[in-house]
Amino acid sequence: MKVNMLKDSLVELDARRRAKAILDEGTYRELLDPFAEMESPHLEKQGIVPESDDGVVIAKGRINCEAAVVISIEANFQGGGIGEVSGAKIAGTLELALRNNMNGERVYPVLLFDTGGVRLQEANYGLLSIAEISSAIVALRQYVPVVGLVPGKIGVFGGMSITAGLCTSLLMTKEGRIGLNGPEVIEQEAGIEELDAQDRRKIWNTIGGEQRVATGLAERLVKDDIPSIKEAVHNTFKTDLHEAPRSAQVEGFSSLINSFDPADDIQPYNVRGKWGRIIKGETFSYNNNRKPSQQHDQYGRGYTWFKALADLEEVTQKSAVPSVLCSDNQIGDSNTRIITIVPDAYSKFYRARNGEVGLEQGWSIARYIHQAIDEDKYREKRAIVAIIDVPSQAYGYKEELLGLHQACAAAVDAYATARMAGHPVVSLIVGNAISGAFLSHGLQSNRLLAFDDEKVNVHVMSKSSAARITRRTIDELEVATKRVPAMAYDIKSFEKLGALDDLISGLDFDNPTSKDVEIVLDKLQESIQDIQASGSDLSKRLTSNKSDEHGRTASLKVREMLRELW
Amino acid sequence: METLRFDYPAKKILNCHAHVGVVGSGDLEILLTPSNESNAKVIVRTGSRGFEKTWGEVLARFFTLNDIAATIKINDFGATPGVVSLRLAQALEVSQNES
Repeated sequence: MKVNMLKDSLVELDARRRAKAILDEGTYRELLDPFAEMESPHLEKQGIVPESDDGVVIAKGRINCEAAVVISIEANFQGGGIGEVSGAKIAGTLELALRNNMNGERVYPVLLFDTGGVRLQEANYGLLSIAEISSAIVALRQYVPVVGLVPGKIGVFGGMSITAGLCTSLLMTKEGRIGLNGPEVIEQEAGIEELDAQDRRKIWNTIGGEQRVATGLAERLVKDDIPSIKEAVHNTFKTDLHEAPRSAQVEGFSSLINSFDPADDIQPYNVRGKWGRIIKGETFSYNNNRKPSQQHDQYGRGYTWFKALADLEEVTQKSAVPSVLCSDNQIGDSNTRIITIVPDAYSKFYRARNGEVGLEQGWSIARYIHQAIDEDKYREKRAIVAIIDVPSQAYGYKEELLGLHQACAAAVDAYATARMAGHPVVSLIVGNAISGAFLSHGLQSNRLLAFDDEKVNVHVMSKSSAARITRRTIDELEVATKRVPAMAYDIKSFEKLGALDDLISGLDFDNPTSKDVEIVLDKLQESIQDIQASGSDLSKRLTSNKSDEHGRTASLKVREMLRELW
Repeated sequence: METLRFDYPAKKILNCHAHVGVVGSGDLEILLTPSNESNAKVIVRTGSRGFEKTWGEVLARFFTLNDIAATIKINDFGATPGVVSLRLAQALEVSQNES
């Protein structure tokens, strides 16, 4: 008689046991374990009970006898949300693994994702941490495969889906899901006709492991069985590092997006079909289906400052995607590529018409930047200036189906790669810098400059949504933001976190005079020169004096302790 | 959120630290550290206010049966008395079993 035995499930385990299960028996050594009591300093102030490990388990050990470090996120604590401490544990670990691998000591980093993204109660700390995690993954990938695993329960969403999109290899179970915006968020922001968050079958068919692997958005489907997962993880260690990772495959994924008209009903099997044709070599070029008169909108601060800094009378379209503007100009002595995203009322992607970062925007930014990197390979690296006025990422069903998180990861990859290749990258925040849009377009820069103005906002979610999700009234939320600057929306509070290099005031931000433009150009030039004289990583954000006094104390402490325990 | 403190006389010496549970819905986390003093100190941080009496009863019952000298930190996310007792028993088992 044949009896089917229970599988040895990984999904059913908590984060710590998952990490133990992946590592060879007897090799598990946890860093910053619960008794280190490195908990979040921000939750108790808001009446929330912290956890002793802040929901992230870091363990060194061996996988089939090879040195590895496993990062495992606990989904049951605050939805696996990334706060300052948990974020610093992940980023700090990857930074230490990078140091080892650069010195020729191989340590394989393995990330077990189970998270909704940024922890809303620590908002901008989460955002900054995710930018640092992304940067570390892009740097590490040059030396060693970075393996991501989505076992399932929550899956991986929000900013963390971008970090998963950067991994060299992504493994998923059938139960695992990946997407930038979770189903509930889409229903809330775009309405139930866009997506019914209760429709489980549709959701798993769209963003579940099986579909993602079939459409090139993950490398391998694994069974929820510990020995086979371990084997699959170990197999990815042999990945050829010369092949372009998913987030740098601009042609293939652009082709996929071009192959659809968002006005049509697009089903998951249509995407599988098209992807199958693309990997066989077929290409689809851009067709915006519009009259020449239907240009992008010529208003908004992004447009105003792009035109001013690029010194253009008329903005002519350089590329197919009308909402992404790109121009090369001289700033001081430096050749500079200027990039911005503007509203486009005629965009065929109707959920990305107000200047949001959507599918086309993410891949299009990536294309412009990789082009600059390639052209400047053997000559002076031109500077890159990102002008930022982005209200949010695009919230839509078709966006998720076609892999919005991967489009965002592509932009993050491009900016980070440019920075590491020696291109000075500066962000100028002229308006909104929100959430996934800011992570994709802005947060990978060497320097962040912002206008000191009430229309300049930095945050992870609109006030009403943030209030609903953290189960507070907007008034209660306002009170909490007073105690925790990371939760506030205004640029002055963001400055307290130490990531901002300059706050520019006293200009006419909406209708700049030529003198105003001169001032901004000078500031940009200063930043570019400053970058050329210093390093190419993001550590300045942590070590600026401002962060010592207020903002990033815990981020630094976590890194210091990890270094000692490593 | 509120923080509660309890003290119980205790004699039994334990071998090692124990960590069980997670601060997730209906659950809690326990950090047990062996102590050389002859008492058990318990610090509870809980998201549900106003249950001091219930905590007192659940803990008194546990320490009557197990007079262990230890510092016990509890981070609670709305665990029921049944779950609390279960997790305490688990923590005790872990602290005795492993070396």
